[in-house]
Amino acid sequence: MSQIFQYFVNGLVFSSIIVLGSVGLSIVYSIADFANFAHGDTMTVGAYGALVTLPTLSGIGGELLGLPLGFYGALLVGMALAAAIAVVTELTIYRPLDTDAIGMLITSIGVAFVYRAALQATFGSDFRSYSIERSGPIPGIENALNVTITERATVMIVCAIVLVTALHLLLQYTTLGRKMRAMSDNPELARVSGIRTDRVLLATWVVGAALAGAGGVFLGLYSQIDPRIGFDLLLIVFAAVILGGIGSVYGAMAGGLSIGMVHEFTPLLTDVGIPIGTDYASAVAFIIMVVILLVRPSGIAGGEAT
Amino acid sequence: MRRLATDTWLEKTSQGGLYSRASAQPAWSQLLAVPAARVARLGMANSNTGSLSTFGQRNKRGKQIALDDINETGVLGGDLEIIEEDTQSESGPGVSAAQKLVNQDGVPLLIGAVSSGVSLAIYKSVIQGSDVTQISQNSTSPDLTNFPDLLRMSPTGAAQASALAGIVNEDGHGKVAVTHLTNAYGVGVAEAFDEAYGGESKLFPHDQGKSSYSNVITSMADYDADAWLFVTYQPEFTTMAQESYDSGNSGEVALYGSDSVKGPNVLEQTPEGSLEGMKLVAPSAALDQDNYKQFAQAFRDNHDTEPTAWSAYAYDAVVTAAIAIEAAGSTDPAEIKAEARGVTGPGGTEVFTFAEAVEALGDDGSASDVNYQGVSGPIDLDKNGDPKAFEQIFQIQDGEYVSQGFIAGE
Repeated sequence: MSQIFQYFVNGLVFSSIIVLGSVGLSIVYSIADFANFAHGDTMTVGAYGALVTLPTLSGIGGELLGLPLGFYGALLVGMALAAAIAVVTELTIYRPLDTDAIGMLITSIGVAFVYRAALQATFGSDFRSYSIERSGPIPGIENALNVTITERATVMIVCAIVLVTALHLLLQYTTLGRKMRAMSDNPELARVSGIRTDRVLLATWVVGAALAGAGGVFLGLYSQIDPRIGFDLLLIVFAAVILGGIGSVYGAMAGGLSIGMVHEFTPLLTDVGIPIGTDYASAVAFIIMVVILLVRPSGIAGGEAT
Repeated sequence: MRRLATDTWLEKTSQGGLYSRASAQPAWSQLLAVPAARVARLGMANSNTGSLSTFGQRNKRGKQIALDDINETGVLGGDLEIIEEDTQSESGPGVSAAQKLVNQDGVPLLIGAVSSGVSLAIYKSVIQGSDVTQISQNSTSPDLTNFPDLLRMSPTGAAQASALAGIVNEDGHGKVAVTHLTNAYGVGVAEAFDEAYGGESKLFPHDQGKSSYSNVITSMADYDADAWLFVTYQPEFTTMAQESYDSGNSGEVALYGSDSVKGPNVLEQTPEGSLEGMKLVAPSAALDQDNYKQFAQAFRDNHDTEPTAWSAYAYDAVVTAAIAIEAAGSTDPAEIKAEARGVTGPGGTEVFTFAEAVEALGDDGSASDVNYQGVSGPIDLDKNGDPKAFEQIFQIQDGEYVSQGFIAGE
C-alpha cells in the first residue's frame, strides 16, 4: 500500500513539471494558433537562466520551504529570461512571418534548434546542476507515512500549484484574461471589438514562456541540466496537451497530471504481474492517451476552450 | 545516388563524381595559392551532443592529438584530415551523419560511433556491403562481436560483465537488481552479467534521456536486493543516483557500475558521499607504455586534465586508420579494408607510433609487416573485429575513483 502511495507522490512531483510545460504550450496554442515545438527548448532557456544567476543570488540569506531564498530569485530570473526570449522570437520571427499554422510549426522547430545550439555553444553539452545541496527525504514524512519526498520536491509541487492558480485567476478575473479568452475563441471578432490583439498575443507569449521557464528550472532542480532536457520532455508535454484537449488550459492541467501519474505508476503493472517494465512508461502513457481520445475525441476538457 | 569514392585526393579532378568538391568548384583550387599539399580525408561520426557527449568531447581531443602526431610524418606524403559529424548519441542522426560522410564526402574509412546502438545502425544501413571500413572508437556491446567487419578499438562489454559478476560474487551478494539501458550496449552487458553471475538477479530496463527515473528506482528498492548494478550512461545514472538519494536508499545497498557511468561530472553532480564505496569496472589504457605516457602528456598540455581510456581508443582508431592507408599505399576503400585489421597485429614488427609504422612498412610493406601497439594496449583485432580486453577496477573512496587493480581478458 505504501508502495502505491509512493508512486502517487512520485507522480505528483513529475506532474508538476509537465503541467507547467503543458499549460504554457496550450495557452500559446490557443491564442497564437500553432503548435510551438520550441516550447521544450524555452524550458531549457529558463533552466540555464536560473543556473547562471544562482551563484550571485545565493548570497541572499534565509530559507523558504528548505531551499535558499536565492533559488526563488533565480527561478524568477529563469522565468523572465524565457519570457524575454519568447517575446523577442515573436517580434523578430513569428510576427513578420506570413505563413499558416504548419509553416509556423516548422519554423518553431528551427527556432528550437537555434535555442539549443546557442545554449550548447555557450555552456557546452556537459550536464550540470544547481549548487543547492540535496537533503534526502524529509524524515518526519518518511517516519509518519513511510513515503519519501524531498524538500525540493515539495517546493516544486507548491510552486506549480501557486503558478497554475495565478494563471487561473489571471484568465478568469482580469481584463487581460478576458481578452485572452476572447481572442482564443475568435481572433477576428476580438479584433473588430477593439481588442489590441498584437498586445494580447505578446502577453500570451510572456505568460506561456514564463511558465515553461519555471518548468525548466524545476526540471533542472529535480535532476540536472543539459541543453537537451526540455526537448527530451517535449513529446510528453505534447501528449499532456492533446490528452487534455488542444488549446484548453484546464485540460492541459488535467492532461499533465494524468501523464505524469501514469508515467510513475508503471511499476505497478509489474507488481500485479503484468510483464510491462518501466522502460515502457512513455508507451503506456501514450496508449492511455489514445484510449482516452477514442472515448473522448476532443480530450478531457474537449470543447471547453480557454 | 550512392557513390563510394575510390579516391579522395582533392587535386585529382579528372573524373570527380557528382559530389566531388574539386570538380564542383574547379576555380577554387586555382584561387587558393597553396602549394599542392595532398590531403587524405577520413570521416568520424562522434557523440558531440546527447547522452554520450562527455565521451564525444574526449574523443575529439584524442583525435586531434593523433592528427598532430600523424601529420608530423604525413600520410602518403600529404596531410591526414578528418571530417567530423555529430551523431547526437542516437541512431537516426548517427546514420545521417555517416551517410553524409560516406556518400557525400566519399571517405574510404569511417571512425564511428561511440554508442553501440549507433555503431550498429551505421554499419547496417551505410557500411555493410560497401568497401568502406568502419572502426568504432568506443562501442562495447557484446553484440558487435557478431559483426566481424565492424572493427572496434574498445573491448567487448562481455569482458566487463564477467569481471563485474566476479566482483559481486566475491563481495558475497546473493541478490542483485540490474538496471540497464534498452539499447545494444545496455542489454548486451546486462545479459552477459546475468549469465556470468550465479545468484538471484532481476533486470530493470530503462530508456535513454528521460527526465525522471523514480519509477525505476522505486521498483528496484521494492525488489529488496543486496546490490544494485547500473549499466547506463552518465546523465541517466546521475539522475538515478540523485533520485535514489532523495528516496533514502543511500547506504542501504552496495552499488556497482559499468564503465559508462564513471566520470568526474557524476561525482560533482551527485550528493557528497552518496556513491561512497561504489565499485566500477572500466576498460583501461596501457598506462605503463611510453607511447601512452607521451599521449597523456600531450593531453595534459592541451587540456589540463588526464585522458580517459576512451580518448586513448579514439587516438588509436585514428592511428590505426592512418597506418592502414599507409600500408594500402592509396586511399582506395577496398585496399584500406584489406589492411585495417592486420596492422594491429599480432605478427610483424611491433611499432608504437605512426612514425615507426611508416618506417617499418617501407615502400611496399603490408599489414603483416606491422603490429601496432596502441596507447590503449596491444589491440590485436581478432577475427570478430574485437581487441584484447584489459579492464581496471575502481572504487569510489572519499569522492574519488581509486584503482583496485586490473583484470586482463582473453
